[in-house]
Amino acid sequence: MKYPDPKLFRMKDHMNLKLQAENLKEVGGIIADMLKETDWKEVGKDAAGDAKAFYKRVSYEASLLGKMSPAEVKDLILNGEKQLGKLYRNGKMATVRREWRGLKDTGADFYEWARMWAMLLATFSKDLIPSLNGALHYRWMISYFCCHSFMDKNTLGLRGKALKMHHELIYAIFRYVAENLVLLMKADEKGGNSTDLSKKIVLLDEMTMAQIMAGFPDLAGIPYQLMPVFLLSEIDQLACMPYIDAVESYGLPSDTCPVPTSECGACVVDALPHMGACFISSSMPCDGSVMASSYTSRRFKDLPTFHLAFPVRYEDESIMDAAVEDIKACIRFIEEQTGAKWSWDAYFAAMKRFNEETKYELEKWEVNQTPYPQLIGPCYELFRKWNYEMDGGLDPRILKTFSKVDRLMKAAYENREEPWRGKMRHRAIVWSVPAHYYANFSNWLANCWGINVLVEMESLNFTKPLETEDKEEALRDMARLYERMVMRRHTNGGYDHVLTELFRQVEIWKPDIVIMYQHVSCKNMSTLNGLFDEQAREHGVRLIWIEHDLMDPRTVSRKDMRSKVNEYMRTVMREEPLDPSLVDFEDDASW
Amino acid sequence: MKDLKYLIEFENLLENADNELVKKAQSEGDLAIGYTCYHMPEVLLNLGNCFSVRLRAPRSSSIDIATYYMSNYTCEYCRSLLERAIEGGYQFLDGIAGVDACSAMNRCYEHFEILKCCEKPDFFITHCDIPYKIESYTVDQMEIQMRLRLLDVLKERYGVDTSDEALLKAVEEHNEVCRIMTEIGDLRKLPNPPVTGYEYHVLSLVSYCCPKRLILPYLRETLEEIRHREPDEKSPFRARVVVVGSEIDDLDFTRLLEDAGAMVVADRYCYGSKPGREEIKIDPNENILRQIVLHYMKTSECARYMSEEKVQQRRDTADRLAREYSADGIIYEQMKFCDFWGFERPLASHILAEEYGWPVLSIDRPYNVRNSGQLRTRFQAFVEALEIKRIHGGKEVQGG
Repeated sequence: MKYPDPKLFRMKDHMNLKLQAENLKEVGGIIADMLKETDWKEVGKDAAGDAKAFYKRVSYEASLLGKMSPAEVKDLILNGEKQLGKLYRNGKMATVRREWRGLKDTGADFYEWARMWAMLLATFSKDLIPSLNGALHYRWMISYFCCHSFMDKNTLGLRGKALKMHHELIYAIFRYVAENLVLLMKADEKGGNSTDLSKKIVLLDEMTMAQIMAGFPDLAGIPYQLMPVFLLSEIDQLACMPYIDAVESYGLPSDTCPVPTSECGACVVDALPHMGACFISSSMPCDGSVMASSYTSRRFKDLPTFHLAFPVRYEDESIMDAAVEDIKACIRFIEEQTGAKWSWDAYFAAMKRFNEETKYELEKWEVNQTPYPQLIGPCYELFRKWNYEMDGGLDPRILKTFSKVDRLMKAAYENREEPWRGKMRHRAIVWSVPAHYYANFSNWLANCWGINVLVEMESLNFTKPLETEDKEEALRDMARLYERMVMRRHTNGGYDHVLTELFRQVEIWKPDIVIMYQHVSCKNMSTLNGLFDEQAREHGVRLIWIEHDLMDPRTVSRKDMRSKVNEYMRTVMREEPLDPSLVDFEDDASW
Repeated sequence: MKDLKYLIEFENLLENADNELVKKAQSEGDLAIGYTCYHMPEVLLNLGNCFSVRLRAPRSSSIDIATYYMSNYTCEYCRSLLERAIEGGYQFLDGIAGVDACSAMNRCYEHFEILKCCEKPDFFITHCDIPYKIESYTVDQMEIQMRLRLLDVLKERYGVDTSDEALLKAVEEHNEVCRIMTEIGDLRKLPNPPVTGYEYHVLSLVSYCCPKRLILPYLRETLEEIRHREPDEKSPFRARVVVVGSEIDDLDFTRLLEDAGAMVVADRYCYGSKPGREEIKIDPNENILRQIVLHYMKTSECARYMSEEKVQQRRDTADRLAREYSADGIIYEQMKFCDFWGFERPLASHILAEEYGWPVLSIDRPYNVRNSGQLRTRFQAFVEALEIKRIHGGKEVQGG
C-alpha cells in the first residue's frame, strides 16, 4: 500500500464558502489597513537602503575577489566561499544571497533546492485550495514559505557527500511536513472541512510517538501541535512569540517552558486546526506537557481525548504492566472513536522497518565515534528525532532514504572526508535541552570555531530492536520505547539517565568539549546545574554552558548564545576563529 | 477570643523540622520518615514504630547554596528543603518516602542522596512512581509501588510490621486525627467561627509534622477547648475566603491574609486539610493496602492528575468548598516556579470566575511570603472588592 494512503487526499471537501468569504473580507480589510497605515516614505527609504547595501556588498565582494591570488580564486570557484558571516544583514529575515559552495556543490545544492520546490508543489497540488484557505486563516502557515531558508541555513558550509546526505534527510522531513499540512488543512473546519477525512485522523499530542498508529494503516496520525507550533518555531524562531504573549496575558507565569506555553497560547489565539476523530494527549515528556493538555481539552471540548500516561521511572520493570495496559486502553479508544481495527500485521511490518532503521542509525554512531565522523550537523540531528518520534517506521520510503545516506556515509568515510572541509578542530557532544535549530548552532560551531558536534543527547534514545512476533512482548516493547521518547531522558527517570550518562557518553564519543545547553525554563535540567559543574570538574570534562530559552529569543538571543562560545574559545581555549566573519553578526530578525 | 491554650506550644513545634515531639519519639525508639507530597499516603508512614514528618523548611532565609545546585528558576520550596538539608537540618530522618510527582521535588531528593545530606547508616530514600489518572491498572501500579518501594523497604531495613493488622491500626490512629481536624475545621462554616484560619493552619501543620501518638492528646484537648470557646461578639474579619492551590506551609501567608481582613474558611491546598484530613473508610475483608492507595488517589486534588474527571473534580471541589463554607471568594495561589500549578492556576481561575461565578484572586507567591507588601496590597484590594460586591448586593463580580 502506498504511504500515505492516496485515498486520504481524495476525500471530498465540504468547504464552508460563507466562512471563506468572511475570512477573505477580514484579511482584505487587514491588508487595506496595513496599506493605509504604511509610511511609504519609510518604505522608500528602506528600499534605497537595501539598494545601497546591495551595492556596498557587491563592491566589497568584488574588492575581495580583486585581492585574491589566482590560486585563491581557483579555490573559491572550486570549493566555495569561506566568509559566511557576510551572508547576514542586520534586520533582514533572509540571508543576502545563497552560499557559493564551489561549482560542483553549488550545482548539487541547486538541484536539491529545485527538487524540494517540485516536491512541495506536487504535494500541495493534491488539494491546493484548502491549503490556501489555511494560509489565510493561520498566520503560522506563512512561515512554511521559508522552509527553503531553513534548508539553506542547516546546510551552511557543508560540502561534498555531507551536503548530499543532509539534503536527503531534510527532503524526507519536508515531504512529511507537506503531506501532513495538506491533510490538516483539508480536514480542518476552516479549510477543506472534509468530514470523511477528519474521521480518519487521530491527533497526537506534542511529541507523542507515532508507532501506535502503525497498527491502524487506514488512519492518519498527525502530531497536533507539530506544524502550528513546534516545527514552526524551528523554522522561524520568532513565530511562536504571539502564542507566548497571549497565554502570558491570560495569566500563565513567564517561567514555564516555551514549548507547552506556546501550545497553550496556540489554543488561546485559536491557531490550532479544528478537526480529527480524537486526540491522544500525553503525560510526556515533562510536567509542562502534562498540564498543556488541559488547555487543549478546554479549547476543543468536542474532541474525545485519551490521556496516554506512562510511568516516570522507566527503568523500573515492576510498573511495566500499567504502561502496557495504558497502551491497550489507548488502542481500544482509537478503535471506538474511529471504527478502525488494530492490525498486528501492519504494526509488525512497520516495526520491522523501524528496527532496520535503528540498525542504520547505530552504524552512523559507529562512524561518528571514529576520528572521521561523517553524518553530523543539524539536519541529521533533526532527522534522527523526527524518524524516532514522528515517522517511526510507518513510511516505507524512509528506509530508502536511510539506505542512500548509508551508502554516501560509508563512501565518505572511506575517503576520510570532512563534512565541513578543513574545519574540524574539536570533537563535541551536545547535552541537555537542544537549541540547534532555533539558532542553527551546531552549524555555526563548526563553521566559526571548528567544533564538530558528533551527537546530541536527545539522539541517544532507545535502540533495542522491537519485538515483531510475540504480541504481548511487542506491547511491552512499545511501552519501553514510548517511555524513552525524545526529551524524556532529562525529564524523567532520575538523574542517572542524564547526569551520570553524560560521563558514560564522554567515554564512548571522546569529545574534548561538551556543549551544555542551559534551557533557563527547563526545571528538570536546571535543577542539576550544580551537580553537572561539580562532576564535570571531577571528570576533567570541559563544559561550555550556553543559556537559551528555545523558541523565545527575547529571553536569550542567538547572538548572546554565540557570545558564550566566543568568550570561552578565546579566553579558556586561547583560540582564534576559523571564520572571523561569523564571530559577531546580527541575525535577531532572521529566520 | 481567648487564645488557645497550646497555640504558642504548637507554633514552637513548627519552628524546626525536628521539633520537641519528634525528638521525644525518636528517643523512645521511633523512626522518623520524612515526606512532602500528598501522593505518598501519610498513613503508610505511621506503621509500627514509624512516624511521618511532613517536611518543611521553616524560617528559611538565604537559599544560595541550593540555588547553585538547582538554579534560580525552580521551586523555592524544593530549594529551601535542599538548603536546610545541606545545613544538616534533616539529619534526624531515618528515611524519606519520596514520590516522582514533580520534577523539582524529585531532583531535590536526588540531591539529598548525592550530597549525602542524611547520614544515618540505614537511611533510605524511595522514589515511588505514581499515576496520572485513576484506572484499575493505575491503582495496581500504585499498590505495587507502595508495597515494593515503601513497605518492603521499611520491613527490610527496620523490621517494621507491615501486616494488614498494622495497616488497620495506623488507619485507626490516622482517622482519629482526621475526625478531630474535621470537627474543628467544620466550625469555620459558622457565621462567626470560634477558630481562625490562622489557628487552624497551625493545628493542621502540627498534625502533619509531629508524631501522631504524641500530638493526639494535644489535639483532643484543643478540640474540647474550641467546642466551648466563645467567639468575639462580632467577627473581626471583613470577608471569608477559600484558599486553593499548591503547597503552603508558611504560617505567614495565612497571617498576612487574615491581617488584611479575609478569614481562611477552607484550606484546599497541599499541607492543608482538604485533602488530607478525610477519614479513610476501610472494609477489613478487602485488600487493605489497595483501599488506602485508592483513598489517596480519589481524594487527591493535585494538578498532576491529568484525566478529565480529575480536572473537573478540582474545579468542583473549589466551588463546593466555597459554597459549604459560605465563602465570599476564592484565592487561587501557586508557588512560584511550580509547573503544575503554574498552568492550572490561570485556567482554573478564569473558569471559577467566569463559569462558577466566584470572585477569584489569582496569585503566585514565594515559599516564604514574610511581610510581602505586594501580596498584602493584593489581599487588601481583594477584600475591598468583596465588600463592594456585598454592598452592591452581589451584582458585581470582581475578579483578581
